[in-house]
Amino acid sequence: MKVPLLIIGGGLSGIAAAIRFARFAPGALILEKHSRIGGLNSYYFRNNRLYETGLHAITNFAPAGNKKAPLNRLLRQLKLSRDQFVFHQQFQSEILFQGCESLVFSNDFQQLKDEINTKFPHSADGFTQLTAFLSNFDPFQITPFNSTRIFLESLLSDSLLIDMLLCPLMYYGSSIENDMDLSQFAIMFRAIFQEGMFRPGGTIKDFLDVLASHYHSLGGSLRTGAEVRTILHTNLTVHGVTLTTGETIECDYLLSTVGLSETLALLQKPETDYHVPRLSFVESIFQLPENKRSHLPQDRTIIFYNSAPEFHYCSPADLVDYSSGVICFPFNFNGLPQQEYIEVRSTHLANSSGWKALADDREGYVEQKSVTAEKSKQVLEEIIGTFKQDIVFQDTFTPLTIERYTAKKEGAIYGSPLKIKNGNLGYTNLFLAGTDQGFLGIVGSMLSGVSMVNQHILSRL
Amino acid sequence: MTREEIKSLILEIIEDIDEEADFETLQPDKPLRDQLDLDSMDFLDIVMELRKRHQLQIPEEDYPHLASLNSCVNYLEPLLKNA
Repeated sequence: MKVPLLIIGGGLSGIAAAIRFARFAPGALILEKHSRIGGLNSYYFRNNRLYETGLHAITNFAPAGNKKAPLNRLLRQLKLSRDQFVFHQQFQSEILFQGCESLVFSNDFQQLKDEINTKFPHSADGFTQLTAFLSNFDPFQITPFNSTRIFLESLLSDSLLIDMLLCPLMYYGSSIENDMDLSQFAIMFRAIFQEGMFRPGGTIKDFLDVLASHYHSLGGSLRTGAEVRTILHTNLTVHGVTLTTGETIECDYLLSTVGLSETLALLQKPETDYHVPRLSFVESIFQLPENKRSHLPQDRTIIFYNSAPEFHYCSPADLVDYSSGVICFPFNFNGLPQQEYIEVRSTHLANSSGWKALADDREGYVEQKSVTAEKSKQVLEEIIGTFKQDIVFQDTFTPLTIERYTAKKEGAIYGSPLKIKNGNLGYTNLFLAGTDQGFLGIVGSMLSGVSMVNQHILSRL
Repeated sequence: MTREEIKSLILEIIEDIDEEADFETLQPDKPLRDQLDLDSMDFLDIVMELRKRHQLQIPEEDYPHLASLNSCVNYLEPLLKNA
């Protein structure tokens, strides 16, 4: 068979790209390796109950009237009405550097400004200059790596504040260690601090179902359990793909959302970035009965914490670094209906090669997984108080789990440290979208799919 | 299509992109983008809708002809005369 557009990967960037194409031309086909769509933001069932993977919150909240906001641009581009979704805004979140300082922020940016004025008066002017600079800065221009740390040091006199501002932005989107590219920083600063966080009503499954049914109604096709083995090409022109089943599918255009080195591997090209460490994480879910929610923080949606003398965002020497992390309370969003159970979720940096070494040692792996859950609970309890006794279900995802279900190499959820901002890999009809194109988060990755289709495919139809 | 029909077609497409678009104060000789808060991504929708509805292939170098309502009508009139 031959299709006009083939998309590898049914994550959010692939789905958005496919919807965008399907609005104007027939014949889009998504190939998803896993049995379910969603990629990093998907779900699974245990004991007949649905658990989300990935999603803590969606960044880039915007009110309905703001036409220029990324969220509303995205909905327009996909021809999805905001009325099809219910969006629940966060209460407030906190950056907590234990024994040092705390900054509380919400979807009202003024709150963070006030916090900084009070707690870091020497950096208050610098922070005003920073926001003025960012409002005129175009993060989508293609430029060489520009260190955010060096830039922030020139504006803010408190190094603690620099670390505190970087902590959430790194945890929610940086694929490089201890620093960020200034463009990435600008995108994430706007997404998290200036626009803010929300979550869709229902579960991620409901959100994905809306997208999938919209895509199908536009005539698009989707195949799950379809793993690509090779991309067929002659020189710089792609003809199609071969699946692991041996089936060949030809295409006019190919959009790959599976990552840069993952795509190069399908093209049978040598590795480009194996010497740069990839950042991976462990995530645990602790589920409690709803009536125990009074034991947990009432007004915090997410806590980004650090308890080490210095904040390090890098691959740890041990399997997991518990000295910093993210604690998410998915029940603490405005207007959520009451549920039977609530969750506390934790994220910490992990050493993917250490976990990989356990891949063939089933017992050792299972043991380390349970050690991880126990230690994570311990550090969480120091911050939010005891809740261990109330847990009715818990599960932990390791870099191995993430690699297995999302095909992200080394379980690196934010992908390669190297980003290809224009999606151009040097081929005439193959383009990259998603994580390694450089837009992150759910809104970002979906806009990535949309903009790659706009730039490279629709304009050439 | 008459000039009037082409004008309605463009406005219909824009309304489809943004149902809250305000045409009351729209000046036909001024850029659509500024007046309606459209960005380049929205703009591509106009081109793609013309392609879908009337099989018009508008090359990228001609996009500036679609800047204002009047220039759209001028540009599309010969292309849509038999539509």
